[in-house]
Amino acid sequence: MFDFLVSSLTFGAIFALMALGLNLQAGLAGLLNFGHIAFAGIGAYGTGIAVQAGWHPALGAAAGVAVAMTLGWCIARLGKQLAADYWGIATLAIAEIIRTVATNELWLTNGAQGISGIPALFDDLPGKSGALAFLALVVALAAAAAVLLRRVAYGRFGRALRVMREEPKLAACMGYDLMSLKSRAVMAGAGVTAVAGSLYAHYMSFVGPDYLLASETFLLWTMLMIGGIGNFSGVVLGVVLVQTAYTLVPFAKDAFGFGSDIAGALRLGLIGCILLGCLLWRSEGLLPEKMRKMP
Amino acid sequence: MIQILVDTLLRCSDLALIALGLSMVYGLVKFPNIAHVQYAMVGAYLTYALHALGLPLALALLAACALTGAMALAFHLLVFRRLLRAGPAITMIGSLALSMLLIALCQGFAGSFPRMFTLPLATPIRLGDASVTLTQIAAVSTTALLLAGFALLLFCTRAGRAMRALACNPALADASGLNASRITCQVAFCSGALAGLGGGLLALSTGAHINLGTDLLLPVFAAAILGGLGNPLGAVAGAFLIALTETLVTNLNFGWLYAKPVAFLPVAYISAASFLILLLALLFKPYGLFDREVRRV
Repeated sequence: MFDFLVSSLTFGAIFALMALGLNLQAGLAGLLNFGHIAFAGIGAYGTGIAVQAGWHPALGAAAGVAVAMTLGWCIARLGKQLAADYWGIATLAIAEIIRTVATNELWLTNGAQGISGIPALFDDLPGKSGALAFLALVVALAAAAAVLLRRVAYGRFGRALRVMREEPKLAACMGYDLMSLKSRAVMAGAGVTAVAGSLYAHYMSFVGPDYLLASETFLLWTMLMIGGIGNFSGVVLGVVLVQTAYTLVPFAKDAFGFGSDIAGALRLGLIGCILLGCLLWRSEGLLPEKMRKMP
Repeated sequence: MIQILVDTLLRCSDLALIALGLSMVYGLVKFPNIAHVQYAMVGAYLTYALHALGLPLALALLAACALTGAMALAFHLLVFRRLLRAGPAITMIGSLALSMLLIALCQGFAGSFPRMFTLPLATPIRLGDASVTLTQIAAVSTTALLLAGFALLLFCTRAGRAMRALACNPALADASGLNASRITCQVAFCSGALAGLGGGLLALSTGAHINLGTDLLLPVFAAAILGGLGNPLGAVAGAFLIALTETLVTNLNFGWLYAKPVAFLPVAYISAASFLILLLALLFKPYGLFDREVRRV
């Protein structure tokens, strides 16, 4: 039970990092990124490929972050003239292309088998303290990211992003370079998410193309929409709620004797229901973004 | 050579009906409905269930088509109409939630194992060096008939003219006394019915499975965007282009590029091909190949 709790919390903290990265793009800058999970996948694969090649894992994580940020730059540049919803579909397509490549390029990624045997970070600590140390690391990272991004959000850069989201023409008139704002937001989100992906790879000691499934992005979106898009405490609340719902499903499976198909359906349906209900009755989320009023 | 043409036509008929419905609804409600491809999955499962209950295949297809249409109409009235007040981005995320819900329902009721239709075996017909089955011919001709009928409806009837007017300029259409909400409801029903039928026809060869909708998502969106979202017949042309590219990419021998006798792209890249077209279309022709409107940016 204790191990289960620790692992749920670890997953929660890793997802919180990814959701914070997405919030910077979707919440503050209003960019509909439906391919966000690609950044996490690149971070995870960076670690995996580095370990396979015999490099130090930290080098792999750094390479993963660099590649993810480059991809983020390309994605942001892609949408020069695209309307927001078209851009969303384009990001979805890019994530799927990356997943297809990861499934098929056997020499690089070992295909659908994935790369296994990635060392855990605190393996040499005795007993349960290894898992606890890893949990402490991810929670600390998530908290640091939340505080840092919150500061960014209430600073000049965050204000510029919000002006761009609400009134792009006004932002352009005030002399902001929208393209540069957009690419910086996407790149920052990509970096945070790639770190989370690399940690995920260490925790699971495995990377596979399943990490890049579009449903993972939608899971992150659910966390954002439930908690309150644009508000960092809201995002954390959303992560906690969705992770709790996910954690409860195995118990429901045992209590009611469901098969694994029904349990999977229950998990997906639960998330769909919560998201839809939230959108219909509380579209700004449980903790809405606070707009500062000018006196 | 004929085989390539036959494959293209088969794939095109899989995509065309679904892309047509997607594009048609987009014209009126102005948001890309991600759940639209899941209607095809629901249609496939309904067709399977009704066929398994003992209905003849044609009747099962028809009933599933009507049921899917009713479902699409219900979703339009209960969900999308409310969400649209909050803007297209929220509605798009809502359609995402709906598609998760539909997959979950189908997985809960039917399981994750594909359901194959038990159709009588027939010898394929030879056309030159190509072979097709009777079921495939029936599916393609049904699609062709429906498309022709739809084109007639769109360009030669009052209802079609009202639809085009509403898609083109909602304010003016409203001022000329068109009942916008009734037309939108009718179109939502039609698009759901077409998607259900398309899914049912597709499932005749692949079986009904829970990834049927998700696998269609990007090719169908690529087709609809290539044709210009909101332009239903453009979507059909887009579907043909996507089908042609997918077939060519997997059937052409790229050996001359690498100085090897035989070099084919792996079949798994078939979907990447359509995503790539989608990206290129978004980059260079974001309003579709048939866009004639002048835009001031």
